[in-house]
Amino acid sequence: MTMDTQLNRRDVVKATGGSALAAALAGCSTLLGGGEEGNGQQQVEDVPDEPIQAGLQTFREGAPAVLGLQAEYGAQTAVRRINEAGGVAGREMELDVIEEAGAAVENYTRFVDEGKDVTFGPISSGSHEELVPVIEEQGVVNVATDGTVTTLYEDSDPQYSFRAQNHDVMEALSAARTAIADLGADNIDTYANINPDYAFGYDEREIFNAGIESLTGGAEEVYSGNPALGASDMSSHVTAVADASPDVLFTSCWGGDITLLLSQGQSQGLFEEVGVTVAPVLYGSANDLSESDIEGNIWGGSRNFYWGSPPTNQWTPGQELFDEAQAEHDVIPTAHFMSGYGAVAAWATAAEKAVGLVGGWPTQEQIAATLENHGFYTPAGYHTIGPDHQGYSTAHFGRAAWDDDLGAPVLEDVEAIPPSHVSPPQGEASLEWIESW
Amino acid sequence: MLEAVLFASPGLFVEQTLNGLFFGFILFMIATGLTIIFGVLGVLNLAHGEFYALGAFLVFSIAGGLVGAVGQPTGTASAVLFAGAIALALLVSAAVLLPVSAIIEAVLVRPIYERDDVYQLLLTYALLLMLADGLAFVWGASPRRLQGVFGTVNRLPTTELVGFSYPSYNVLAILVGLGVFGFLIWFFERTKTGRIVRATAINREAATAMGVSTDRVFTLVFAMGGFFAGFAGAIHGAGPISASVGMGVNPLVLSFVVIVVGGLGSIKGAFVGAILIGVASRWAILVYPAAELAAPFIIMIAVLLLRPKGLYGAWGEIE
Repeated sequence: MTMDTQLNRRDVVKATGGSALAAALAGCSTLLGGGEEGNGQQQVEDVPDEPIQAGLQTFREGAPAVLGLQAEYGAQTAVRRINEAGGVAGREMELDVIEEAGAAVENYTRFVDEGKDVTFGPISSGSHEELVPVIEEQGVVNVATDGTVTTLYEDSDPQYSFRAQNHDVMEALSAARTAIADLGADNIDTYANINPDYAFGYDEREIFNAGIESLTGGAEEVYSGNPALGASDMSSHVTAVADASPDVLFTSCWGGDITLLLSQGQSQGLFEEVGVTVAPVLYGSANDLSESDIEGNIWGGSRNFYWGSPPTNQWTPGQELFDEAQAEHDVIPTAHFMSGYGAVAAWATAAEKAVGLVGGWPTQEQIAATLENHGFYTPAGYHTIGPDHQGYSTAHFGRAAWDDDLGAPVLEDVEAIPPSHVSPPQGEASLEWIESW
Repeated sequence: MLEAVLFASPGLFVEQTLNGLFFGFILFMIATGLTIIFGVLGVLNLAHGEFYALGAFLVFSIAGGLVGAVGQPTGTASAVLFAGAIALALLVSAAVLLPVSAIIEAVLVRPIYERDDVYQLLLTYALLLMLADGLAFVWGASPRRLQGVFGTVNRLPTTELVGFSYPSYNVLAILVGLGVFGFLIWFFERTKTGRIVRATAINREAATAMGVSTDRVFTLVFAMGGFFAGFAGAIHGAGPISASVGMGVNPLVLSFVVIVVGGLGSIKGAFVGAILIGVASRWAILVYPAAELAAPFIIMIAVLLLRPKGLYGAWGEIE
């Protein structure tokens, strides 16, 4: 370990407030128990001894499991690190994980009935929209892993419902900025969309269209298709876009859908007909892509976490998390790994902060109040939860390339975009903000 | 409007039609099993989509192993070896469905033939769930993607010989689908076993009186249905898609649409219905992309209004 790295770690530990829990979640594991920072565990008399009961709902089967299992692995890693660091104010965490598909509200209600202290999830945008009113009614804090539809926290004023991952506006605008950076605004006259046929896909398209049209001064959409989630065939959309030969193709397809689109797109010459393809959730399928899938000018997003950004020689927590994920789960950790990890880290660091503030174990209301404007570190860097209950972190976009040594895709020329560049000021609606440019 | 597209971009029209034929033939192979099982056994098998999924998972393992053993083609001899390995993997994957579906029929389905239809629905739905869990248990919850077949087969020139580019894998799958249709017509019209199956479908009591073992016929038909669904899954799974738990649901729904359009129990109806659904939904994208998902159901409603028994309306019989 170099001196630079050690200093870097100490800086991070200080920034986290010196708590062993916060340091462990930031990825500074080698400093824990080292003496100079102390173990940082808060000793408060009114904190109960029994473990914290937490529930996570995520996709564990089928095509969506590509993302859902990553969230589960991330949440498990965060819980393990918390427990190894002595727990939240001395309380260990126990995580119960259940299948999300088609049962988001039932799962949350079941968790509440079982007396869970906190719940995490869901992944699905549609389920998250359905769930928020129930969370507000039941009053047990939920930190969503994804469910990133933009308007959800713009149109409501929740108390108990939070979201750790960046919302759609950040990745859709990152995609628009990437297309502009690659081709130049003056060279973009046309664009096309292929997005999944549900709330997330429509939200992403609406924001991308607004962004690309504002940034180019009026590029024209020449095609928009919405294949079903878990589609068996994308060839018709591939053919239609290839025929239109747009300058930019935007696709928010994810999981098995993006691999199918890339596979059929390559077989039908799609990426030779398109100037640049920008896909905000592409790297979520990093473990399933082959070298031939990503030939051409294809840029992928990785939401609030790409393990190689900042470069691993400058920011070791990313490399350490990568190594842990490889060793424990044999996967490349993607942004959805951070969705699970970040959700747990957000709640745990806020709960510990609240213990210090109230001098005992906090109520749901007190934890929720602490989560507002809360900041914390993870291996992805620094995160904040805004007063709107939305998580804000650096967004990542890079050119998809194949790494022979890794035997997997990586992102090159990664642009790390701060939240203020791709999300509106607090209180402003995203679309109105974009249209005001 | 379709005419405008046709004349403005005939290449696009041809390619979308080929897309529709490819998907249509996949649907046909699934739906044909569903329809013959219903035609002969009178059972609407809700677990049929899982046979398709099992075929996709099997080809992931079998073709993956064989391709790994023979390697990627570098010359004519290795290309022939590679093609043989893929063909063998497809057939073996589908063939596994023969004993699997035969056992399911003999052990689980047979005891409820005489009971109310609701028992069949409950049983086959339970089978759907159990098979899905079984797939997750054996292959894991994450999608499984066979690599190195689709791209390699596409290097073979087919449509390039007539002046345009289209995935050769899809072209070959269309030809295989045509072969399956031809085989089924030949089997049911020209072979003794096929005629026995048709006779059993038309009049079970008369067939029994003439010495036909309906148990054997039913097992054969159920196994055939499983085989062709598994074959469809193997062809699709060795191509562009990943095998994943739950992948059988959408094709099952569309297969119901196909057999309702074609006429329950009719193989010709399944053929025409599948091609109609596959091609029309792709043409719909040319005119109005948002209509893609609705197109099959609009066709079904239109057919039911005009011909309530479907295009070939052979309810309860194999035609």
